[in-house]
Amino acid sequence: MNALFAHLGVSLRLHFRNKMALLYGYLFPLIFLVAFWVLYRHEKIPLLRHMGELLTVAVLGGACFGLPTTLVSERERGVWRRYRLTPVPTWVVVTSTVIARYLIIFSAGLLQLGAALAIGMTLPAHPFDLWLAFTFVSFAFIGLGLVIATLADNVPAVQALGQCIFLPMLIIGGVAVQLASLPLWAQHVSAFFPGRYAVEALQACVSGRGFMGARFSLLALGLVGVAGCLAGAKLFRWDAQQRFATRSGKLWLLPALAAWGAVGLLAEWRGRIAVAVDAEPAPHKSPVAPSTIPPKAAEPPVPAPAPVAMPVIPVPKPLPPPPEPLWSKITDKDIAGLDYNVPPDQGIVSPMAGPDEEPEDFMKEQVDGVRSKIATWPPGADGDDLRCIRNLLYVAAVPDAIQMPVERYLPRVVYQHLLDTYPKDKLTKVLTYIALHPEEGMVIDDISDLGIEGAAGDQLVVRERAYLYAIKFIARLTGRVNE
Amino acid sequence: MSAKVIVRDLRKRYDGVEAVRGVSFTIGAGEIFGLLGPNGAGKTTTVECLIGLREPDSGDLEVCGLDARRQPREVKERIGVALQSTSLQDKITPREALRLFGTFYQKRAEPLELLERFALKEKADAAVDTLSGGQRQRLALALAFVNRPELVFLDEPTTGLDPKARHELHGAIAQMKRDGCTVLFTTHYLDEAEELCDRVAIIDHGRIVATGTPRELIAQSAGLQSVVLSTSRPLPRGKLAALPGVRDVVSDVDEPTARFSTSNAMETLAALTRLLTESRAELLDLHVHKATLEDVFLGLTKRDEGGGSQGRQGEGNS
Repeated sequence: MNALFAHLGVSLRLHFRNKMALLYGYLFPLIFLVAFWVLYRHEKIPLLRHMGELLTVAVLGGACFGLPTTLVSERERGVWRRYRLTPVPTWVVVTSTVIARYLIIFSAGLLQLGAALAIGMTLPAHPFDLWLAFTFVSFAFIGLGLVIATLADNVPAVQALGQCIFLPMLIIGGVAVQLASLPLWAQHVSAFFPGRYAVEALQACVSGRGFMGARFSLLALGLVGVAGCLAGAKLFRWDAQQRFATRSGKLWLLPALAAWGAVGLLAEWRGRIAVAVDAEPAPHKSPVAPSTIPPKAAEPPVPAPAPVAMPVIPVPKPLPPPPEPLWSKITDKDIAGLDYNVPPDQGIVSPMAGPDEEPEDFMKEQVDGVRSKIATWPPGADGDDLRCIRNLLYVAAVPDAIQMPVERYLPRVVYQHLLDTYPKDKLTKVLTYIALHPEEGMVIDDISDLGIEGAAGDQLVVRERAYLYAIKFIARLTGRVNE
Repeated sequence: MSAKVIVRDLRKRYDGVEAVRGVSFTIGAGEIFGLLGPNGAGKTTTVECLIGLREPDSGDLEVCGLDARRQPREVKERIGVALQSTSLQDKITPREALRLFGTFYQKRAEPLELLERFALKEKADAAVDTLSGGQRQRLALALAFVNRPELVFLDEPTTGLDPKARHELHGAIAQMKRDGCTVLFTTHYLDEAEELCDRVAIIDHGRIVATGTPRELIAQSAGLQSVVLSTSRPLPRGKLAALPGVRDVVSDVDEPTARFSTSNAMETLAALTRLLTESRAELLDLHVHKATLEDVFLGLTKRDEGGGSQGRQGEGNS
């Protein structure tokens, strides 16, 4: 045990003396954090919805690059051969190396969390569960790192192999690009990548139901981790002269590959391909709304059918006057007081095509489909004006939240439909009311009736985007934006 | 003298090539034993089998009275090893390395004691990548002594060192003997083996071709003198071999340098003068001296380039 602790201590000290390791281990995840912060700067609580992705990136970097790079470079130098000349068993040195790596990754995760809190993120909903989930994620990726170290004969090979795993995981594995914005085939593929389960498990602990909401993900990560560690331990190489191609026991790679396959098939079997509900954020105590929002007002009730009752006195009563719509009290001052500082139309958040801009051919059918159906779409046509207009804003907001290619063109369709349907003055007031009360009403996060497939997953984001489009429409209606 | 190492009929094959073909030798307690041989002769494989880095195909290996094949961990507790093919992390310091490796053994020496013994005290807290070649080699030796070993394996410990560092290391190895330690070391430097070793074994093509003290081996060449010459153009090897008294010619076709032994230097040189005249080659350099261990080594390992040396096998597998 002395040997294990001594080696652990030396491994940690050497890590903190290695400038390149510090650069990759700490600076690289922080760069991701800043990038996400800038990219999602319009979200009310900075980075809360992205901590799962950010922590996964930190673990991936430390486990799939840092660990095998250290192992392989030490093997190339003959450090492991030197250890082998001593009576210390293999498992002691490998275990202490793995523990050291876990602690290094953990410190990188803490740094990211600290940085996120410093820029305004709220505390994770389930801190203990988050630590547990982080440990599962680290275990899974450290197993993968051990496998990479056995496969790679030299450090450049580690980089190449690491990239082969890192990049697909980032792009179609649900780590850097939200799954809901990926085509269905990519969502199926992502079910076979542990990165997806890492993000889901961590995010569930940051803003969801915690450990209980991530059981499948943790099971998947545990399975991938056990298989990876088993293969890594069985194929472990002390000596740089032992090339992977010429060594025996390659079949031990099968459990590692089989675990990825089994996890994917299990997800398919259980119908977990669509965005996991458990990864959705928990309701927050403070509503997401601009600071100028007045106290919440109740949505006007939908008139219920009058109960059928026989009047005692057969004298017809005059019907009560319809309640005055809430938006009718909106004044010019309210309209002028809105915050018109919204993201640009050409940006990523709430983009909007110009009036003469035509969609590319491959999107035309989708855009035309929405244009033809929107007038009769029940949520946008039936009921009171406030409800309908809010629902129509979601037609623009959902594709933006999912980051679909048509996201630029549908706001223009919605805006035109609103102009065609409502008088300008009324429309301006209703939109202003919505902008001042973005937390009211039900959210529609699925507009597949209009031919737009995919669910936004996070209702908070859909509300936020609807708010942004309401402001953009008002700016046009009031001449603040000239087209 | 009890034996610290007994090797009997050791065999090891890689990818169909037999690297070690029935090697046998014994090393007595307190001896410095040199294992000499050209590159690829099988000396590294032999040492690696002894220290547990490789599993032999067959043969008996007894180290410090233990079966090295069945009790590798127990053997490792009692031996120290400094291999050329091993290294340490760049940023580790000698003090940290000695402390770390000490925890790997049941019996251990104090890091400070080793730092003093191997003249590393001043560099105790300097990163390995700031040490000179000689300091690194001394650190490798210090690590080999971290468990107070009975037997030390040194693999080409002076390769790449400058003359001063080599001299210092020779002193350290001689001190090991004075401390009662048994040493097996491999080297390319035959003067070093001649100076330090009690006994040497010459290995070639996977076989021991000679064993004995350096003096014994040189004595086997008694009466022979070594001739080294350089000419303005290469002399045909066949014509050199035909000179009276000449044996063991070593020369390359395109190289104007040749080396051979002779039992009659006067007759050989007279004939050589005639050969130079006939060949119209100018004599640039000529050395004649009594045979050294290097001459013995070259004679034994270059005798039969194609089929392997068949020389003095079995001479005193003591």
